[in-house]
Amino acid sequence: MSVTAPDAGAAMTPAPIVEIRPDRGLFDLDLGAVWRYRELLWVLMKRDVQVLYKQALLGAAWAILQPVFAVLIFTFVFGVAAHLPSDGVPYPIFAFAGVLPWTYFAEAVRRSGLGLVTDAELVRKVYFPRLIMPLANVISPLLDFCIAFCVLLAMMAFYHIVPTWRFLIVPPLMVISALLALAAGLWLGPINVRFRDIKHTLPFLIQIWMYATPIVYPLSMVPTQWRELYSLNPMVGVIEGFRWAVFNHGDLDVTALSTSAAVIAALLFGGLLFFRRMERSFADLI
Amino acid sequence: MSEFAIAAQGLGKRYRRALRAEQHDSLRDLLASGARDLLSSRAKRAERAAAEEFWALSDASFDIARGENVGIIGLNGAGKSTLLKVLSRITTPTTGACTIRGRLGALLEVGTGFHQELTGRENTYLYGSILGMTHEEVNRKFDAIVEFSEIGEFIDTPVKRYSSGMYVRLAFAVAAHLDPDILLLDEVLAVGDFAFQRKCMNFARQLEQKGSTILFVSHNMFSIKTMCERVIYLQKGRIVFDGPTDDGLKLYESDSKLAPAPWFGDASSNPVITITDVKLLNEAGQEAGVFDFGERLTIRMGYRTNQRVERPDFRIGVVRSDDIHCSTFSSFADEVDIPYVEGEGVIEVRTPPISLVSDLYNVNVLVREHGYGRILTAQVGGGFHVRHPVYASNAFGIFHEAGQWRVEAASKPAAANTERTHEFR
Repeated sequence: MSVTAPDAGAAMTPAPIVEIRPDRGLFDLDLGAVWRYRELLWVLMKRDVQVLYKQALLGAAWAILQPVFAVLIFTFVFGVAAHLPSDGVPYPIFAFAGVLPWTYFAEAVRRSGLGLVTDAELVRKVYFPRLIMPLANVISPLLDFCIAFCVLLAMMAFYHIVPTWRFLIVPPLMVISALLALAAGLWLGPINVRFRDIKHTLPFLIQIWMYATPIVYPLSMVPTQWRELYSLNPMVGVIEGFRWAVFNHGDLDVTALSTSAAVIAALLFGGLLFFRRMERSFADLI
Repeated sequence: MSEFAIAAQGLGKRYRRALRAEQHDSLRDLLASGARDLLSSRAKRAERAAAEEFWALSDASFDIARGENVGIIGLNGAGKSTLLKVLSRITTPTTGACTIRGRLGALLEVGTGFHQELTGRENTYLYGSILGMTHEEVNRKFDAIVEFSEIGEFIDTPVKRYSSGMYVRLAFAVAAHLDPDILLLDEVLAVGDFAFQRKCMNFARQLEQKGSTILFVSHNMFSIKTMCERVIYLQKGRIVFDGPTDDGLKLYESDSKLAPAPWFGDASSNPVITITDVKLLNEAGQEAGVFDFGERLTIRMGYRTNQRVERPDFRIGVVRSDDIHCSTFSSFADEVDIPYVEGEGVIEVRTPPISLVSDLYNVNVLVREHGYGRILTAQVGGGFHVRHPVYASNAFGIFHEAGQWRVEAASKPAAANTERTHEFR
C-alpha cells in the first residue's frame, strides 16, 4: 500500500491515490503512513490519559502511589527482612531509583502487548496504520513516569542527594526503555491477537523479567562470571544508568548500555517486520 | 477522460472457516488440533484445509466513476461487508488489486472508537481523527457538527449518559462532516429515528451534489432505489449483476423470494419447516402486485415439513419499504388453532380491508413454535403496492382509518346552543 502525491500544480485539490494490493515486500515498512497519521497517534495518547484519570477516583495520584507502595513493600521484605545490600545507599531510595523506570517499562509493555485487543473494535472497523496503536501505548505511560519522577526528587532532597549533570542521561534512558517496550509490544501484540493466552501470561512474564533485572538487589550481587549473560537483558543497562545518575557514584556501565542498545535494535527491527507481516490479518482474527 | 474513483481488478478475499468458527483462541486449542493433524495423513490434511477455506469475495472487478452512487446488494454472507472492508483497507485482499483516487471515508459502523467515559466534545475530536480529520478541521466544523447532531448542551456530558439515539446522532454528525471524495456506507443510515434518517438521506444527497462518490450497502431496497443509479449484486462472493438499479433490484427480488430473512442466522441448517411458496391474491383470486386501499388481500403459503410440528404459529409480517414493521398476522394471536402440520400443505390468510397507506410493502413469513417459542423459519415473502391518491406515508403515517368527528360551534352570546355533529364515512 502506498500513497503517491499527485503532480504539483494540479488545478484541483490534490487527490491522494491509494493502491491496494495483497502482498507487500518483506522490508516495506511504510513508516510514512505512520507519520501521516501522527495526529491520530496524539489523539489516542490523549484518550488513554484522559480515560485513565477519569475512571479512577484518585486519578493522577495512582502514578505516585503505585511505585511508592512497591518500594514500601520491597523495603520491608528485601531491605529490612532479607537484608539485601544496596551499594551503600539507603534501601528505600535505592529501590525507588530502580522501581521508577521499571514501573514505566512494565506498564508500557503491558499496554502495548494488549492494546490491539483492547481496541479490537477500532481495528475491526477503521483503517489506520496499526503501528500507531503500540506507539501510543508506549508513549502515554510516560506521563505517569514524569509525575512519579517528582517523588524521586523529593526523596533525594530528604536523603540530601544533590542532582548533578548526570541527570542528563535520564531522557536517553527513557527513550531506550520506550524502544524496548515497543519492541516487546510489536512481538506480543500480534501473538495476543491470535492467542489470547498472552493476556494471562504477560503479568508473569513481567514479574520474572523484573527479578532478572537489578531492581530489588544491586548488580554487584550477580556473580562476575554471569554478568555478560545477565547484561543481555537490556533493562540492566537502563536501571544501572539510572542509579548512576541518581547516586552520583561509580562509572556508567557503557558495555551494559551498548549491549542493551544492540539487543533492542535487533528486537525492534525483527518486531517491526513481524508486526507488519501479521497486521494484515488483524481485522480478520481479532 | 473519465475520471475513476475506484478501479478494482479481480479482488478476492479468502478466509479459513476455522478462523471464524472455531478460532484458536487459546494455545491449547491449537496444540490439540496440531496433534490431530500429526496423526492424520497428508492427503487428509490437505483435504481438510481446502474444506476449511472459503472465498468471501472472489474475482470482483469494477470501475466506479467519480460522482457515481453505487448500491451493493446481496443476501447475508454474500460478501458485501468484505468488499467494503477491503476497499477501506481494514483487511488486505488475498488476490487482485485496487486503485482508489481521492480521500476515502468509511462508515462501517457508526460510533466505533467512541469512548464511554469521554464527553461528547472529547469524543467528537477522537472520532474525527479516527475517521481521518485533522484537529484543525474538527475545530472548524465543530459547531456545525453539534448543530447537526441536535445534542446541544449535552455535548459536555460523558457519552455513557447518552441515549442510544443521541449517541448515534453525534457519531453520524461527525462522520457526515468528514467531506470525503469517496464514502463507503454500511447500513449506517438505518439508525436513529425517522426524522434523523431523513436528515441523513438529505445529507447523502448533498454529498452527491458536491460530486462525492458513494458506495452504499443496504438491505433496504427503498434507500438503494432513492440513492443509487447503479447496483452491484453479490452472490456468494461473486458479482452476478452490475448495472442499472431497477434491473438489479428486480433480479435481487426474484432471487431473494423465499430466501431466509436477512436477520435469520440459522439459514444453512436444515430447517424443520420450509415455506415453499407465497402468493398474494386479490379479491378475484388472482395473483397481484398492486392492491387498492380498502381491498382485501389473501396471502397463500405453501409449506413442507421434515417432521410433525405441533401447534405451529404462522406469522406474516408486513414491512414498509423504509423498514418500518407495520403489522403482523399471527395464527396464535388470532386464536386459530392449528393442531399440527406434517408433510406438505397450504395455509391461507385473508386480511381485513387494507388500511395501510399508499406505499411499497414486503411480506415476511415466520413459523414459530407454540406460544412464542423458537423461530423455525423466517423467509422473505414478496412485495406489494398499496394504491390510494391521498393517503401516503409522508402525510398519513402508517395506516388510515376514518375517525368519528363532532364539531361544536363556538358559543355565540345570542344564539341558542345548537350542536352539529358531523360524521364522515
